[in-house]
This record gives sequence, C-alpha cells and structure tokens, in this order.
Amino acid sequence: MDRARENRLSTRLVVLAMVVIASSGCSTEFERQFADAERLRAEAAAAGSEWLDTGKLLDQASEEAALDNMDAALMLLEQARFQAEMAIKQGQREADAWGGRVVR
Amino acid sequence: MEKAAAVLVLCFATMLMHSVALAGPEEDRVAFVAFFKSRFPDIPFADYANGIYAIDRDAREQWLAIEDFPPYEFAIERGQALWQTAFPNGKTFGECFAQQQEDIRAMYPRFDELSGEVVTLEMAINNCRTANDQSLLAYDEGGIVDITAFLAFEARGKKLHVRVPDDQPGALQAYESGKRFYYSKRGQMNFACSDCHVTSVGQYVRADRLSSSLGHPTHFPVYRSKLGEMISLHQRFAGCVRDVRAKPFALQSTEFRNLEYFLSYMSNGLEANGPGARK
Repeated sequence: MDRARENRLSTRLVVLAMVVIASSGCSTEFERQFADAERLRAEAAAAGSEWLDTGKLLDQASEEAALDNMDAALMLLEQARFQAEMAIKQGQREADAWGGRVVR
Repeated sequence: MEKAAAVLVLCFATMLMHSVALAGPEEDRVAFVAFFKSRFPDIPFADYANGIYAIDRDAREQWLAIEDFPPYEFAIERGQALWQTAFPNGKTFGECFAQQQEDIRAMYPRFDELSGEVVTLEMAINNCRTANDQSLLAYDEGGIVDITAFLAFEARGKKLHVRVPDDQPGALQAYESGKRFYYSKRGQMNFACSDCHVTSVGQYVRADRLSSSLGHPTHFPVYRSKLGEMISLHQRFAGCVRDVRAKPFALQSTEFRNLEYFLSYMSNGLEANGPGARK
C-alpha cells in the first residue's frame, strides 16, 4: 500500500471515528454503510479493478457526515458502493473475457 | 448423441480459445504485426516507430515542423549532465550497465532472473543509485525522465530487442500478465487498451486519432505539448487508465512494468527513436 493511500485510509478512519462520536441515530447506519462500501472498494483494489472515483466518493461521504449532512453522506456511500460492486464484477468477468480479444 | 457432439464441439472451442490466449510471445508478435499490416497496408513496418504520426498525415506535418526545434533537447542535455556526473564514491551510472551507453535503451525492459521481476530502464537507473548509496529518484520528476531521454537519444536507430527467455518461467509469467492487462477492460468506461489501440486504431476520439500499439514504447520519454513537460511511458499508462476512469497503478508498479514488457516485445524490431514530441 503506497503512502498516499495509507494517508487517505487514515483520514477516512479518523473522520469516521469523529462522526461516530459526534452524531446521533444516523451514525450507526452511516458507520455500517461506510464500512461496507470501504470493504468492497478494498476488494476491487485488491483485484486490480478499482474505479477512479470510488475512493473520492468515500472521502466526500465522510466530509458530508462530519458536517452532519447525513442524507448527502448516505447518498454518496450508495454511489461508492455501486461503483465498487461494478468494479468487482468487471474484474471477475475479465478474468476470462480478455482472452477473446487477443489478436490472433 | 447430438448432446455428446455438442459437448465435444464446446470443449474443442474452449481449448482453442485458451490456446490462442496462451500463444507464445513470438506467435503473439507476428499476429500483432500482421494485424496492423492488414489494417494499414500502405504503412511500412518501420514507420510505426513514429507512433500516431505513422497514421495521421496532417499531424505528421505539424510534428515534423516541431522537430525542427525539438522541445525535448533541454531534457537530453540535463540527462547527459546527470549521467556523466560521478557519484560521491567516484563511480558513474555507466559502470552499472554492461552495455555501451548507446545500446542500453533497446535492451529494456528485461526480465531479471535474480529478483524474478521485470526491470525497466528507470528501475535500473534507480538500482544503480542504490548500489552507489544514493537516494532514489522519484519516477514522476524530471531527473529520471531526463536521464532516460539522454539514453533514448543515444540509442536512436537501435532496434528494440526485448527477450522473454524460454528458460525463465517467471519471464513468460510476467509477459502473460502484461498481455492480460492489455486486453482486459477496466474502469467506468469499460475499455481495454486494445479497444482503442487495436480495435479502433486510427479512428477519431474527438479531434485526435487513436495511435497504434505497435510502436508505442519506441519513442518514450516524450515531451507533451499539452503538459509542457517530459513524461515517461508509465506516466502515459497512468493517463490512459485514468481516461477510462479506472484507478491508475503506481508508476513502476508490477502491473505497469509487465505491461511495458508485453508492449515492448510487440514492438521488437522497430527502431528506438526517443525522446519524442507529442501533442
């Protein structure tokens, strides 16, 4: 893991902790969805198929949550989660599909 | 009976597909060259070293005009100065390489049996610095790109000669990994490298035509007019990956080095003619 990614992950975790401490009812839902989306993003990254904006969406979700804009935060998490799921599916599909494109 | 025959046909088709995907490097290269020959019958093989300017005649005229006062000349001069400056221990870069300085560029990337990985020219330069107790040069800053610009200039006219040695299974594995990367769709746009640079080669993307992958690595590093600076091949890879909205890998990552290994092998026999100038 490169340093920039470590820093971003640390920032996300710190923001998440702040949100958990500071927020009320929505925090549990946010916390759960954030952890879920981050897990999927990490899975896509490990497979080498992460999309460009997934991490940014998670960062933005954390920022919105820190401002207590929970609706916006949850919407961003949903987008991040969707991207991560699509990236994982793409990676799985390409595990075989690439061979059909080889110039022969 | 019919069902059994259908299963047999399916098995045969699957085996055929896998055998094609797993064809050896030289079979791949011959097929790759033949594809472009068939797509552009009038373009001589050697001209692919000029990248998009082999295909886009209008852009070629502009490029030739730019070459009257090449924007990469300063990088060559800076690179030469860095190359010739001795380390504090008195040794020089040249002593790290077995080849003459004009032969270095065309030999990279190469598979290093000892470390079991592909070593690019940039990595070899940094390995040399480490061996001489010097700090690593950043892969996205001028110093290392300048040195490769100098070595590319020295190597002009030498033909790319990248090897995937039969007796080193790791080399074939790295090559196959690069090949898989090249043909795999990625990112939100769901594009493979080959979608643009093979399937749609020569087509317009807005105002620009898509270049051929045959010859891609020959002219790097390049001065990019739109950026106003020199960039390495891996910086270009990162740009392409970003363009299809996938997260780019780090410069000199295993993924990009293996991709460079595959692409360079595809361009074997073309002359190294870097550094280049591109839009």
